[in-house]
Amino acid sequence: MTTATLETWKEISEAAYRDLENAVGAENVSREPAVLDGYAWQPTINDDPAKWVKRPVAVVLPSSTEEVQEVVRACNRHGLKFKAFSTGWGVYSGPTYDNVVQIDLRRMNRILEIDEKNMYALVEPYVCGAQLQAEAMKRGLNCHIIGAGPACSPLASATSGWGVGWDGVYMSYGHRNLLGAEWVLPDGEVIRVGSCDSGLGWFSPDGPGPSLRGLMRGSTGALSGLGVFTKCALKLYPWPGPSRVNVRGLLLDAKAEIPENVRFHLCFFPDRKRLADAVYRVGEAELGYLATRTAVAAFIYTFAPHLLRRIAGTRCLRDVLSRGVKWGFVIMLVGASEEEIAYQDAALRRILADHDGLSIEAMGVPAIGSMVFMNFFRVTAIPMVFRMGGLFSTALDRNDTWDTQLDWAEIGESIKRKWIERGGILDDLADNPFMALYESNMWAHCEEIFQYDARDPKHLASLEPMFIEFSVAAIEKCMEPLSATDARLRKIVSPLMGHYNEWQKKVSAMVDTNRAADTGMYCDEVDFDFSKVEPELKAKLDRLVERFRWTEDGPPS
Amino acid sequence: MALSDYQRDMEGCSRCSSCKWVPFNQIKSWRFAKNCPSICRYNFHAYSGSGRMIIGLSMLTGRSELNDHVAEIVYRCQLCGACDTACKVYRDDIDLTEVLLELRAHCVEQGFLMVEHMAAIDALKREDNVLGEPKAKRGEWAEGLPLKDINRERCEVLFHAGCRYSYDPDLRDTVRGAARLLLEAGLEVGIAGAEESCCGGRAYELGFRGEAENYAEDLLSRVKASGARILVTPCADGYAHFRYLYPRMGKEIPCEVLHITQLLERLILEGRLRFREEVPFLLTYHDPCHLGRMGEPFLGEWKGDKLQRPMSMKRAGRKGIYEAPRNLIRALPGAELVEMERIREYAWCCGAGGGVYEAFPDFASWTARERIEEALATGAEGLATACPWCVRVLRDAAQEMGAELPVYDLVDLVLQAAGIAEKERV
Repeated sequence: MTTATLETWKEISEAAYRDLENAVGAENVSREPAVLDGYAWQPTINDDPAKWVKRPVAVVLPSSTEEVQEVVRACNRHGLKFKAFSTGWGVYSGPTYDNVVQIDLRRMNRILEIDEKNMYALVEPYVCGAQLQAEAMKRGLNCHIIGAGPACSPLASATSGWGVGWDGVYMSYGHRNLLGAEWVLPDGEVIRVGSCDSGLGWFSPDGPGPSLRGLMRGSTGALSGLGVFTKCALKLYPWPGPSRVNVRGLLLDAKAEIPENVRFHLCFFPDRKRLADAVYRVGEAELGYLATRTAVAAFIYTFAPHLLRRIAGTRCLRDVLSRGVKWGFVIMLVGASEEEIAYQDAALRRILADHDGLSIEAMGVPAIGSMVFMNFFRVTAIPMVFRMGGLFSTALDRNDTWDTQLDWAEIGESIKRKWIERGGILDDLADNPFMALYESNMWAHCEEIFQYDARDPKHLASLEPMFIEFSVAAIEKCMEPLSATDARLRKIVSPLMGHYNEWQKKVSAMVDTNRAADTGMYCDEVDFDFSKVEPELKAKLDRLVERFRWTEDGPPS
Repeated sequence: MALSDYQRDMEGCSRCSSCKWVPFNQIKSWRFAKNCPSICRYNFHAYSGSGRMIIGLSMLTGRSELNDHVAEIVYRCQLCGACDTACKVYRDDIDLTEVLLELRAHCVEQGFLMVEHMAAIDALKREDNVLGEPKAKRGEWAEGLPLKDINRERCEVLFHAGCRYSYDPDLRDTVRGAARLLLEAGLEVGIAGAEESCCGGRAYELGFRGEAENYAEDLLSRVKASGARILVTPCADGYAHFRYLYPRMGKEIPCEVLHITQLLERLILEGRLRFREEVPFLLTYHDPCHLGRMGEPFLGEWKGDKLQRPMSMKRAGRKGIYEAPRNLIRALPGAELVEMERIREYAWCCGAGGGVYEAFPDFASWTARERIEEALATGAEGLATACPWCVRVLRDAAQEMGAELPVYDLVDLVLQAAGIAEKERV
């Protein structure tokens, strides 16, 4: 694995290309450089200033599990690697090595079944969250939509990467909803794990021995490093609202018909402690269909970035947003009956009162309610995150307790503030965490979002030093940095975390004797180029690494 | 402008793929969730709005070269604008349609042309229409109608028939009927007859910009000479080019520009046109791209950083013509309107635009069949639309499919309700 240039790119051999054509049909494979670059431009959540990742040698469009198997076998025969992706969102979708065949799963796009009674859906990779939700709603059900938005594949987030979302308080995390999966291993063999419901689909119980489900997914997912997932069964949840929400208009003038059984509260507290305590109480009361702590500035830059630019230049308004309404919390309540929604509403108001909080009930303010409802329910606000600067990135992406995540947000904010002052990133008032809560707030997620314009050289130059500064802070505070997919950071932090990727490599070797899968996002390592990082910061990182490094005897004392 | 002038737009692509989907708030089913015919038909990312921007960026930065295959990817697109509208729901700084148009102009500059497009341009140069029909016959559709000849006299309303209405025999009654409706309402209507030329919009879309400018000049001079206070056309393509392309080229038309559906709606509201007959159908309406999102008027050129561009100058299709045709359907006695899932700014294209009908008829037909499927899913008894290109390709598709779904030009339904169609036949 090397940096993303074309210097080492070579055309695929004729024999290999013919094999791919035989696998998927000539019209479903391409080696045209301009077509391949469509898969090599991956700027989102990509801290490499180049924004181009490795260009694949070919791209294939299989339409079935059998065709995926044939492609994978062809890669094994010809010494090629493969990298699969479904809807594709972010740098994780692209190749990290030379000689990679990109498997674009776009043609595998069916919802195979929605079982209302048993509340699950059987889907292929290119079904997006908005599609599955629209169909589930017709049956009184709903699905988890991840924070990257409704364009993303629920299969991908359940089987292969993360799975965080605002509805986690009710519908949990991506892989927690994974009931079963059809998995093409890196040698082309197919196995089915988990269950597609008893008696109606496959049933492959785990054990005895290590859990295959655990190996294939783990905490973050292998991002195609362990093969290709071609079907999966996903848990669905009750949706007691209408079968369709009618929305008129597209931009800020959009108007949604908000269901009567929905309440949406924007809650504010005087300080961090009262916010934290209130949210724990909300969890104990089992309230919430979706919930997040989102800073007011984040609302503004998403819906009205022009306005935020003006606010950023006005000191008194900055202060109001940065301090006056800093400790905010968003929660949507959904009731199955009038009595239930009334109970939930009253319980929330009681908690607010106990913690000196106040609430704006957004549905009582039609303009706001109309704007926020679908933007949270279907997570349609997320693509607007690109509005402020064109790109954004995220740091400190982990799951932990709610209190810990509030710590994280504050640390992230302080680092961001420095870089905003230097002009290294855009000014979003710094406090801008993407947070989600899970399973009645027993655990939570936090990412520190920062906005930048990749067309601004100063912003590009800031990406790598900022990345290291976030990582140093994480190590220093004994928190887990965003190491899961970045091979550069993995090399630095894996020794501090039990050399976890060495275990991943063993799993990889077990199922992939020819090293056919592209494991760059899963378990491999590369050196970080520290040339743009201040020497003092590098020295601090070295000291921390030395202090926390695991030895043969285990963790440091 | 040149392709390189849009490099910032291309570099701004986050590859989020929003351009491939109906704006997410509007997704109502699995079946009709996608918005772009090209990526749906050909599947490689290069066939999406984002993919074509990446092609442009790749070429500009020397990573890849234009060749016949890449040019064909550029041309296998109806320029329907659905990707642009979807992108602009979430972005302020990318003008996707402009990038697609620049790519075509770049292909033409570099000599990568489609034979069928060259034939259309040759026909245009020879006969002033893209169909290759004799110029002398352009005005034949109006024979016997009491219309003024603007080449000799002034008029209140200048009626621009457009290429397809002028020559397609299936649409002859429709275009005659449109003019009759205006006459029935007491308007003084003039036409250029054999001297009418193509609006030039198709030439612009195919990448031949010089031709487009010439035709704009031609039309402007005719409008001025006619003294018309209204320029009306039943052709949605022509309407879009008069409202957007001409002002963008600095050729502002010096009178009010209306699509026929707008003028008919106005005449009904003013009581100058009355309905006498029942039109007892459950109808669904197909928004022509060039009347809807692409029919938005030119909002002005934003010169600064597009990240700072105000919403009011973002071409997102909001000011396209959506209500006038629907109001006409609602006004038809006995008619009922049922909507498809993909409508208004996010309507699925009919398939005919951008030179696809000429160069890739199978793709145009595939796209139209998809729309017929969507119309059938509503349970409608008829599909109405307001563009001759849409009518042509949708009718052909319905016939190929054996679908029991008549495709109406909205003008024909208005004629029926006004009781004029029968008179015409008599």
